[in-house]
Amino acid sequence: MPFEFTPERRAHLDDLLTHYPTKRAATLPALHLAQAQNGYISQDVMEHVAELLDLSPAQVQDVVTFYPMFFQEPVGKHIIRVCKTLPCMLCDCKKVLDHLRESLEVEVEGTTADGNFTLLEVECLAACDQAPVMMVDEDLYGNLTPEKIDEILGGITGKAAPAKAERRHGRG
Amino acid sequence: MAEAKERRILYENLDVPGIHTLDVYRKHGGYASLEKVFAIPPDDHITLVKDSGLRGRGGAGFSTGMKWTLMNRQIEPRYLCCNADESEPGTFSNRYILQNKPHMLIEGIIACCWALGIHTAYVYCRGEFTLAKKRLDAAILEAYAAGILGESVAGSGFALDVYTHSGAGAYICGEETGLIESLEGKRGQPRNKPPFPAVQGLFMKPTCVQNVETLSNLPFIVNNGLDWYKGMGSVYTDVPRTAGDPVNTGTKLYCVSGHVEKPGVYEVELGITAQDLIDMASGVRGGNRVKAVIPGGSSAPVLTPYELDCPLDFTSLGLAKSMLGSGGIIVMDETVCTVSALLNLMEFYAHESCGQCTPCRSGTPWVRDITKRIEAGHAKPGDIEQLIDVANQIANVDTFTWNTICVFGIAVSWPAVSFARKFRPEFEAHILNGECTVLPLEEAITPPEQNYAYPRPQVTVVQQPKWH
Repeated sequence: MPFEFTPERRAHLDDLLTHYPTKRAATLPALHLAQAQNGYISQDVMEHVAELLDLSPAQVQDVVTFYPMFFQEPVGKHIIRVCKTLPCMLCDCKKVLDHLRESLEVEVEGTTADGNFTLLEVECLAACDQAPVMMVDEDLYGNLTPEKIDEILGGITGKAAPAKAERRHGRG
Repeated sequence: MAEAKERRILYENLDVPGIHTLDVYRKHGGYASLEKVFAIPPDDHITLVKDSGLRGRGGAGFSTGMKWTLMNRQIEPRYLCCNADESEPGTFSNRYILQNKPHMLIEGIIACCWALGIHTAYVYCRGEFTLAKKRLDAAILEAYAAGILGESVAGSGFALDVYTHSGAGAYICGEETGLIESLEGKRGQPRNKPPFPAVQGLFMKPTCVQNVETLSNLPFIVNNGLDWYKGMGSVYTDVPRTAGDPVNTGTKLYCVSGHVEKPGVYEVELGITAQDLIDMASGVRGGNRVKAVIPGGSSAPVLTPYELDCPLDFTSLGLAKSMLGSGGIIVMDETVCTVSALLNLMEFYAHESCGQCTPCRSGTPWVRDITKRIEAGHAKPGDIEQLIDVANQIANVDTFTWNTICVFGIAVSWPAVSFARKFRPEFEAHILNGECTVLPLEEAITPPEQNYAYPRPQVTVVQQPKWH
């Protein structure tokens, strides 16, 4: 079935369109909304967004392929983003990635067999004071250790209580 | 010199529970500038900011007031783009402003928009900042409900709308024209300048692009006045004009990360030295010695232990052939392999090049590949020269000219050339030994007298930083 926004998301998009003098400016917000609904940006999604914003599908695809946060293939239920940039490297983010690869039995850019997690290595997450860090969906977790990672993932899959990262604000 | 201390202004009350809400923010003196700002005519307001010496905190360090005078104020509408696309490795201070004091940013946006007669502002927030964007969205809704935004800001008759806009993970969208393109719904590829955004920017209208930290300074300048603001920082007298505006007023949010005991954001008056800042962060982990410090986000040329006495401000770092940039200080101890560190950075830049200009699109992966070769011990003599040569062809660090549309090119060349020159013995050891070789600290660094950045011109500080 071709992609279509749910009425709530469509209303949200209509509201967003009032923020800009051109329809095209709503491309990124529209794609974020579509990805939240569909999980990834399929051909159908691009065509639908293009139609709503008076663009050609190629113009939308042009945008989708530029930004790493838009997925062009189906992904797992939860996205794990592990930061690998210098401050995290200095704090041994490789250990974090190795632990995730082993415990989830998945390679970078792969999805676990149960479809629960997709593992990604990403460039700077701008939380270098808490290095090494990862994001699971919309939540940031810092000062990671293998034990802490197990606890976080266990919480998400329902095996244990979720443990949020401590958020340190200038050490305060 | 007395022990350096924090001077919290932007970060004051940052940890107060609920400070991200309007009520608590107001209880702690928030929005006090609204009573004063509309009494200052826009022209006087621009002069005030110009005289304050406030320089853009996003990286380039351009005078904010000067930027405002260049704005074409004849054409309607005009736009403000707040740059909250904080993606420079080592930089994370804006995240905490957005998460904890979003109202301070809104207050700053109001001050800027009043001065420039702007009625629409967009906050371009990086896509990964989910909590920050939620808090900012909530704060904007609160501000509308309280009459702080909307048709008449705080009853002044001045109309202002503020919208947030999420990016999607591209570093280049932090470049001002890349940000504008992205906001317009396109690939975030930077534009040729001129025309500058102040003349033709967002939707082809005059546009002011300012970083979160820069805007957040404005309410305090309005509230406390010129003398108060100019009383902080360091001012130099005998610096040639080519070295930039010798004014370094106010505080700076220094983000300290890497091998320090207490990483985090330290708000200090401009002019603190790298060594003092490391000491504030409780020193290097495990009592190790410092091997390298990147002073201004990953694109700034690296400093060696011989350069830790350099004040971390726009003027001094410029004279040391480095830059303050975004104020992200990455500290590396003596266990680090500088070739691996450079390789990590080059992988970052090769991934983030937007692909628009050939020297950058082809040159950056090329620099990465040479570094990779050296790191793995597969390189041959002459590869260090080639690395420096290819980097210099993207952007020449010695003549400060680049063969690309935007300054991403120089952001690649600066770390590449500075690492290869300043840690040349370690690079050579990798080639000679055919494997990754971490040299003892003293042997890894090019002696200062052979360092291209020496001798550093000495400058006289008129206003010695006062550590309150």
